[in-house]
Amino acid sequence: MVKSTFISFGLHTIFITFAYFGLPDSKVEEPVEQPIDIIDDTHINSITSLKLGNEKKEKLKKIKKDIHELQKNKKISPPPPPPLPTKKIIEKKNAVLKKAKEIEEIASLIKKKPNVKIEKKSKKKPPKVVKKPEKIKNKQKEFLAKGILKTLTEPKVFQRKENKDRKDTNQKVLNKIKTIVGNSNRQVQQTEIRLSQTDINRIQMHVTKYFNLSYAASEVKMIIPLKISANLDGTIKTARIIDKSLYKKDKFYRAAADAARRAVLDSSPLPLPKGKEKKFQNFIFDFNTSFINDY
Amino acid sequence: MYKIFDFFFLKITVILFSFLCVQAYSEDLRIKINSGQVEPLPIAIANFTGKTENVNNIGLQISTVISNNLVGSGQFKAMESAAFIAPPTSPSIRPNFTDWSPLGIKALITGSVKSINDDQIEIEFRLWDVIAETDLIGLRLTVSSKAWRRVAHIISDEIFERLSGDSGYFDTRIVYVAESGPQNKRLKRLAIMDQDGENHQFLTDGSFLVLTPRFSPSSQEITYLAYFKNEPRVYIFNLETGQQELLGAFPGMTFAPRFSPSGEKIIMSLAEKGVTDIYTMDLNNQEVNRLTDSPSIDTSPSFSPNGKKIIFNSDRGGSQQLYIMDSNGKNVKRISFGKGRYATPVWAPKGELIAFTKMLKNKFYIGVMSPDGSGERLLAEGYLVEGPTWAPNGRVLMYFKQEAPNDDGKSTTVNLYKIDVTGFRETRIITPSDGSDPAWSPLLLD
Repeated sequence: MVKSTFISFGLHTIFITFAYFGLPDSKVEEPVEQPIDIIDDTHINSITSLKLGNEKKEKLKKIKKDIHELQKNKKISPPPPPPLPTKKIIEKKNAVLKKAKEIEEIASLIKKKPNVKIEKKSKKKPPKVVKKPEKIKNKQKEFLAKGILKTLTEPKVFQRKENKDRKDTNQKVLNKIKTIVGNSNRQVQQTEIRLSQTDINRIQMHVTKYFNLSYAASEVKMIIPLKISANLDGTIKTARIIDKSLYKKDKFYRAAADAARRAVLDSSPLPLPKGKEKKFQNFIFDFNTSFINDY
Repeated sequence: MYKIFDFFFLKITVILFSFLCVQAYSEDLRIKINSGQVEPLPIAIANFTGKTENVNNIGLQISTVISNNLVGSGQFKAMESAAFIAPPTSPSIRPNFTDWSPLGIKALITGSVKSINDDQIEIEFRLWDVIAETDLIGLRLTVSSKAWRRVAHIISDEIFERLSGDSGYFDTRIVYVAESGPQNKRLKRLAIMDQDGENHQFLTDGSFLVLTPRFSPSSQEITYLAYFKNEPRVYIFNLETGQQELLGAFPGMTFAPRFSPSGEKIIMSLAEKGVTDIYTMDLNNQEVNRLTDSPSIDTSPSFSPNGKKIIFNSDRGGSQQLYIMDSNGKNVKRISFGKGRYATPVWAPKGELIAFTKMLKNKFYIGVMSPDGSGERLLAEGYLVEGPTWAPNGRVLMYFKQEAPNDDGKSTTVNLYKIDVTGFRETRIITPSDGSDPAWSPLLLD
């Protein structure tokens, strides 16, 4: 009993090993002799074994020292003074100052201290800032204040961003859950190119014009599938008859399949719907010859 | 170690690749094409080339016969050779398809003829699909130079079968009754010819009246009815030896002898004491077997292709109608119920249809119906159209047609016609004299 168990275990191990790694390769590949490329000798000593004389060496040292010193001097020297302010710049500065004063005056009209609010802005406490403008009574003041409040209400944006970030993280988590649960396929399908019946009909009508059969095709009781590979402009790259065995065996099928292949190649380029060309890079035409019975 | 891992990864790659292939196939977009055209296929038949003038002439004639055969079938439309941009020189050279596709050609036939010796020639041909740019079939035959016409028919059959799927019918013969002379002294001789009317030969000299010739399944024998000293006799004519064998002299009238599918029996009707019944005769032992026994006229029997059933016409129901029975004469069942009278039923070679002659309101029709009597379709009509016979592929029917007499009461000519089973393309077969009662042989090469 124990012996047979060991034998079984051994055989199973061998079997699993072979299944996992496969059979050893009995064929040993011999190294292939590489042909030798013969190249003419070239004299390269004149370039590589050049020795410098002592004088030249000293000269080079001196040059190097000079460069080093120059670099040191550059580092020590102070930066150049800033250019003197021109009249135009002064005027601009004055105008800016004036504007600032005006803003201060307008802000002073608001009962509550705007300066504090600005400080609060930097501290990221937006809700209080939003509430304060409601207390403005004068309409003119209100308009003016609105202009300032636009800048004051910036923290709101931060709040939205925070909300967006939260939403994004939530969405990511949801997506992860969905992928785990299996809803991800539905999302992929939603983004796929969808063909309308009109698109299909247009192609069917086009190919039908070229599908010419003899009455003998009534003997074909099977659908003839052809694997089509098309370019984006609708031209046919290849049209392959899928059922090769039936093609060889059944003379009626063979003739009808040849007619179907001729129809596809003859109908090139296909009238592919715009923007949906990629869908037709690889597809199948199913030719049905049963319409012959109605003739 | 690397090798082991390489092999392992190779295996995994192969498995994954095959899986992806299956996945890709199953997810492919599928578009159904449920309709199309049934129109003659445009083809080009290049002259079969040869090195000498004599051989070149044979090649030219071969290509002409092939063209006539294929176009005559109604399933092909041949392009005039004058329109060819660059006529091909040899069947072994791949043609430049761009020279042919702009002409609307779908298939191209090229060929050559080579002289082997004074008597023999080698004929080679190839059929090309111009659209798929590939060759579909090729054949090389060495025959006597006198047999070039036969070879042309064989090549036509090969092309027909490859492009339509159906067996051809060009390498076949027609036996018929050649008629000549005034109505009161009509000379009726047995004649044979190729299906296209060529190689015409008279088999009998006209010294006695002949009727209803029929081929044996081997195409080597013909059974027919002859009046010898005003007594009807059934003969068998051997085409190979030219000898005639008297099958038997039966009392009373004898009608429409026909071979069984095995060729071992003859089925016919015999009139005795005012009653006509159907009989079979075993050709091996001359044993006669009566199949029907009714007080009516049962005639024109024809076996089904498998030999298990027999179709015939009978007036046992009051008017002439079509009936089916087992080969032993049992289970008789009427299948035609339309208006008018039905006669001369013939079972199609594939067994799916029965051709017949119909008489209705002073007009004759050639029609077909299913063996259960459904789907009756009338294909041809005339003052007198009668005696349908099937081509071996069951796609074409031949019959004879007589126009209405002239105003002076003189009868008009009687001619042979063929028509596609779809009812289109009725074509007259040219014969040296008037012709009636045709019978189509099986394929000679089979």
